[in-house]
Order: sequence, then C-alpha cells, then structure tokens
Amino acid sequence: MIAEIGQATIWLALFSCFWTMIAIFLGTRYEHLGAVQSGRNSVIVTFCLITTATFALVYSFLTDDFSLFYVYEGSSLKQPVFYKITALWGKMSGSLLFWLWLLTLFSAVVVWQNRQKPSSLEKNTPLADYALITLAFVSLFFVVLVTGLIEGVRNPLARFPQDIIRPDGLGMNPLLQTPSMAIHPPLLYIGFISLTVPFAFAMGALISGNVSNLWLHLSRRWTLFSWITLTVGIALGGNWAYQELGWGGYWAWDPVENASFMPWLLCSAYLHSAMIQEKRNMLKIWNIILVSLSFGFTILGTFITRSGIISSVHAFAQSQVGGFFAFFLVVLLAGTTFLILIRSNKLKSPNQIGSLLSRESAFVLNNWILVALTAMILFGTLWPIISEAVTQQKMAVPEAYFNQIVIIPGLILLLLTGIGPIISWKTLTLSNFNRVFAKPTAISIVSGLLALGFFFVNREIETSTSTIVLSALCVLGSVFVITAIVEEFYRGGKLRAKRNQVNLFSGMLRLLWKNRRRYGGYIVHIGIVILYIGIMGSKGYDRLATESLTQGQSIKVRNYEFLSGNGFQERHENFDLSGINFEIKKNGQTITTMQPARAFYHTAGQGDQDTIESAIHHIGLNNLYIALGPLPSTFPNYDDEPITVEVYHNPLINLVWVGIAVMFIGGWIAILESTVPETQTPQTSNA
Amino acid sequence: MENKVQNYHRSSARVKILLASLILTSTMIYWIVTGVKNTSVHHFTPDQLFLNAENVDRKGVQVDGLISEGSSHWQATELKLTFAVRDVENKAKINVISTGLVRPDNFHDGGNVFVQGVYHADQNLIRATKVQTKCASKYDAADASNSKEPSVNDKATNTREGI
Repeated sequence: MIAEIGQATIWLALFSCFWTMIAIFLGTRYEHLGAVQSGRNSVIVTFCLITTATFALVYSFLTDDFSLFYVYEGSSLKQPVFYKITALWGKMSGSLLFWLWLLTLFSAVVVWQNRQKPSSLEKNTPLADYALITLAFVSLFFVVLVTGLIEGVRNPLARFPQDIIRPDGLGMNPLLQTPSMAIHPPLLYIGFISLTVPFAFAMGALISGNVSNLWLHLSRRWTLFSWITLTVGIALGGNWAYQELGWGGYWAWDPVENASFMPWLLCSAYLHSAMIQEKRNMLKIWNIILVSLSFGFTILGTFITRSGIISSVHAFAQSQVGGFFAFFLVVLLAGTTFLILIRSNKLKSPNQIGSLLSRESAFVLNNWILVALTAMILFGTLWPIISEAVTQQKMAVPEAYFNQIVIIPGLILLLLTGIGPIISWKTLTLSNFNRVFAKPTAISIVSGLLALGFFFVNREIETSTSTIVLSALCVLGSVFVITAIVEEFYRGGKLRAKRNQVNLFSGMLRLLWKNRRRYGGYIVHIGIVILYIGIMGSKGYDRLATESLTQGQSIKVRNYEFLSGNGFQERHENFDLSGINFEIKKNGQTITTMQPARAFYHTAGQGDQDTIESAIHHIGLNNLYIALGPLPSTFPNYDDEPITVEVYHNPLINLVWVGIAVMFIGGWIAILESTVPETQTPQTSNA
Repeated sequence: MENKVQNYHRSSARVKILLASLILTSTMIYWIVTGVKNTSVHHFTPDQLFLNAENVDRKGVQVDGLISEGSSHWQATELKLTFAVRDVENKAKINVISTGLVRPDNFHDGGNVFVQGVYHADQNLIRATKVQTKCASKYDAADASNSKEPSVNDKATNTREGI
C-alpha cells in the first residue's frame, strides 16, 4: 500500500511542477501576487510529495518488500539496515528519485531564502521567481524519468506484474557495501544538484532582464557549496577505489570518474570568473555560459554514465532514456542560447581587459585552461563514440591519453594558483612585481633547482628523466604558491596586528575572519598545492611488486619485505572474510603486521561474490598496500597452491587526502562570508 | 586625444588577447590530436579483430569477448595466464597471453573478458598488458537489463554504479 501511495505522489508531483511554472509565469506577467504565491507554495508541495515517495521506498527496503522490483534487485534479508537505507541510491531509478528529492529540497530552500521581507518591497524584481520556474522545469524532467513513462527507467516503486512471492532479494553489490560508498554518491549528488540553483538564478536573471551582478550574489554560496561537496565527493570516490578495488590507485580516468570531474572543473572556472564580474563588471556573458555549462555537464555526465552511450552508438540509438536525456540537453542548450541572444545588449560589459599582465588576464587564462581540460577530457571520454560514428571503427584512449593531456595544463594552473591572488588588477607594474613577485619567484626557482638535484641524486632505476623534471617543476610551482600566499598573509596580518595592537598571530586570524572569502580561497589554494605534491609522489614514485606466494615466502618493494604468514577466516554478519597475516620488515627489522583479505558475500540465488579488502599501513605520509588475488580452494592452507599478491609502496599518498581536507576547510571559510547587501536580499516579485 | 590613446591601447590589448586565444586553442587541438594519435587503440570484438588482422598487426588493440571454454591455463608461480577470447557466436578465437599480472576475479569459462595489448597477426595472439573480467549483469546500472555487448569502458574490478 505504501508503495502505491509513493507512486501516486510521484504522479501528483508532475502536476505540481507544472503548476509552479504556470502560476509563477502568469502571476509575474499579469502582476497577480496570489498566483505567484501559489506557485511558490507549489514548490513546497512538490517537495512534500517527493519526500513521501522517497520515504515509501526507504520503508519498502526496511520492511523487505521484495514484491517491488527495485527492492528485490537492491536488497536482501541479510543486508545490514544501514545498507538497506543506502540501497535507495544503489541502482538507477532509485538514485534518480533520490536526485529528484534533493532537487525539490533545494528548490524549497530557495523559496525560504528568498521569502519576502516587507522592508524592501519596492526594490523587488522577479529574478528569484523565474529561478523557481527553472528549478521546476528541471524537476519536471526528473519526475517524468521516475514515473516509469520512459523505457529503460522503471518507476522505483513499481511491483512485479504478477503476484510472485520472492522470499529474498538479490542483494546490493558487495563493492557498494562500504561506509565511504554510502557517503560518496550522496555527496556527489548534492554537489551536482546544487549546481542547478546558480544555473536557475542565471536563467532568472536572463528571463527577468535584471542581468546585474545580483544573480551572482544570490547564488554565490550555492556555487561554493556545490564545489565543496563535489570536491569531497570525488575524493571519497577515489578513497573508496583505493581501499576497495585493490589496484593501489585512486584515479583511473574511467567515464564515471570523468563525469564527476568535468562539472568540478567548470564550477572551479566559474567561481573565478564570477569574481571578475563582481570586481570589474566584465565577462557577463561568459559567466552565464560557464554556469550553464557546469549544470549542463552534470546532466551530460548522468547521460554518459546511464544511457549506455559509451558502450555503443547503437545502444544510444536504441535507448529511450538516452534519447530523453539528449532531448533535455538540446532544450537546455537551445533555451540558454535563446535567452542569452535576446539579452545580449544588456550583457555587454563596459570594461575590457587592458593588459595581458593583470589579474583579469590571469583569471581568464585560468578559465581557459579549466575549460580546455574539460573539453579534452570530454573528447577522450567520448572518443569511442566519435571514432565509431566517423570511421565506423570503434577506438578508445587508455589512461595514458588523460595522463598525457593533464600534466602541462595542470602545472600552468598550479602557477596561476599563486599568481592570481597577488598580481594587481588592470596591469602589472614594476613596483607591484618587486613588492609581491620578486621573493616568491627567487625562492621557488632555487627550490626547483634543489629539487631537481635531489631527485637526480636519489634516482631509482625505474624513474624516468621526464618524471624527475616534472616533479622539480611541481616543487617549483608549489613553493611559489606557498611563498606568495604566506607572504600575503604575513603582510596583511602584520598591518592588522599593528592597527589593533595585537600580536602577529591574532592579526592574521583577524585578517582571515574579516576577509573570509579571500583568505578562505587562499587556504583552498594551499590545499591544492598539498594535493599536487601528493599526486606527484603517489603517481610518479609508486612501486609495485607482483608475485605468487606460498606460506612463508616473502616479496620485496624498496627496502620493505612482506613475509607471508598463516591464513585466517572470520565470519561476519553478511560476509565471510579470508585473509593472510603478513609480517612487514624494514632493513630486517619487523615494523608491523598487515592483514589483506577477501570478503565473500553470500547473496541469495546469485552465488558468491567476493571483494578485495586491501591492507593499508601508514608510515608518515607514505603507504604500504597489499592486495590479494583469488584464493585457492584449499585456503587457509596455501602451502601447495600459491596466492598472487600485489604489494605497493605509495609515497606521499596521504597528502592527497590532507590536501582535500584543507580545500574543504578553506571552502567553508569562504562560504561564511555573505556578499549580498541586506537591502537586496529579498528578490521575489511584488506582483 | 586622450580618448584616442585609450582606444589605441584597448584595440592593441584586444589583438593581443585574440592572438593569445588563437595560440591557446591551437595548443589544445594539438594536445588532443597528438594525445589521441599516440595512445588511441582499436577496439574490436574477436571476429572484427580477425577480419582486420593485417591492419593492426603489432599494434595496440582492445578486445571484448568471452573466455573460450577449456582454453585457460594459469601458472601462478610465473604469473602467466593463457587463454582464448571468442565472440558470442563463436565465429573467431584470439589467443591471449599475459605475464606479470594477477589473474582477475570471476575468471571462468564463458565469462566476459576485456583484453588490452599488442596483437601479433602471425600467431593470432594478443600479448596483454591488461586483462579484466566483467561483473555479473545484475549489477548493471540500468534497470532495463537489455542485453548488450561487453563495454569498452566497463571494468571488472572497478565498475562503479551511477555517478
């Protein structure tokens, strides 16, 4: 019964989305406040309806209602309660429902944030109301998807056609039954979906004709919020891959990863170009294009990963869900282009870039590189389809393509991370150069040369010359950024300390708090530097050894020896764990033990599934990592049948996670600063 | 006079920016073209590879197919895996040899397999640098489990669902 209620509420949401669009549009046009208010209320109603459907599905999971397709395919009796809840987004139609629920939640928050304040009614414009129309339009797309009208996506609350009794479900993919996989997808969804809000405000600005900087101010926190959650979501995905997949890495450039990375790149570009519009009243059209692209790529990413388009061009042609996504993308593209064209006169920027050596130029170059990276990654991701369509012969690019294309732009971006904050607006003067550039430039060049010498002196036979040169450049860029930012902090903190008669540390803290947006951004940049160093160490200097071992044999990586001991088996609630005790020695001395294992999930009617449970040991910033290959039938005895073991030494890999944490902290500091003048806060119409 | 000077500086900056944009765009296209040229590999099913054997002799290829029944042999101590990959209709078989790699999970007769390596037409053999099996179809992201060929981008041990 509860499932039927959920189904009904999804259908009702279809009408409430329509009503939001019609009521607000007509109410604004004919200045009918009641209609506009009704449209806003309808946003809340949609949220309540989709919340009901979502809870109906969660309830069905918790009560093991295997008469529902979705519950049968994604859960089982033995599945822990926690994973019965996370099964909500474990497969396609449920994850779309979850997506829709978040979107309607954010739409309701936008209604609440822009509720009317009587003090400034005269200044109201319908910008926020038109943003609600856009949000309702996007919601409508997802509502249609989850109704089950589109072939390829079943209604998540649909039951089996006949009254077949299913005593148990198939169970969730064991790979997804880890805490990080429970957090990673919702964070990515939140990041993706919250990008709809800045896009909606941009569309609101275009529809209403108020193309001032107001839409940027109103959506700035949403954009930062998206960026932060995407950053953490992507990093958690990498962390999950590192722990669960057993290949010792965290990034493989697969289409799903690329689909999340491309909106992040575009969002990062938009965050920077928005500053140019705020400070110099430039790049108005570009910002609308960027925010639209950021949002469009969240839809494109979903389209790429869910439509089967990557598998084959023919699968795309046959798949109605792919066609529906493509239709939606075309509508978005056409709509945005049309609105930009009709407002093109108002979008002309009064100012222009005066010099190539200016902050504006640095930001534009940053934007260009981020967008170019997105284009190159998109091209590589879609290359199988493009090549098949053009040459009738499917081709693919492996990881090497992506690794090759990101290195140089990545290093330029790193330098810009230091240049952008300290270069002056309009044009770089000699005095500005001497004041802020001389020291970081000199220190970074010396550091780069020292690093080059260090890497050559300590060179291992496997290390290529290009790795050494690129590492030295990475060190040079990183030192430049850190020196530039630290000097900026120091100079500002010293001034504030003098002015307020406090010590330097307090001065710097006050400086940070008074300019949270700016200095929060600098902290993000420091996080990026830490991340770069982590990537340099873990990608450039990782070492792998693969061997088949029987009990008592050992394997070596660098100066670490991994001695295989006895096998063990443990029984857990919904899986059995089989692993090996390894004794780890460094220069002959035992330093620790590690227990890599494999988990065997007994899922109903589907046979056993097993996952790799890698063992990771932290030594400072470095990791030792062990993954086991398939186990013999005689296990825990493996005296006669050897087990293949992969061991890794991953230098500096912990800096990857530290860098992400610092970026997260910096992002939240920046988000705390409000940029909306109090008088401009209410933006709903006074129709 | 001052306006004229300002306009001159503006148009000069505009030309510089236009030139910079052209250089940057050309660089991006160059990166894409050289990147694709250096790394791109043909993707085949076994029967397609068999038909194009001479064109891709000693070149990088990717093959999606099924593990031919009774063909696999694993020598654990040498980390040497040999097997044949066939297409669904069993029209063609390609021999595969990999050394130094872990035998993937779920590696069994008739299972989906993805192979990347260099093809040697004279021996009808791929010397593999990557061998991956595919997860059970029940974990495909799409609800409508339309049968499809194994994907160029599906991975056995790192398939992720959704985004």
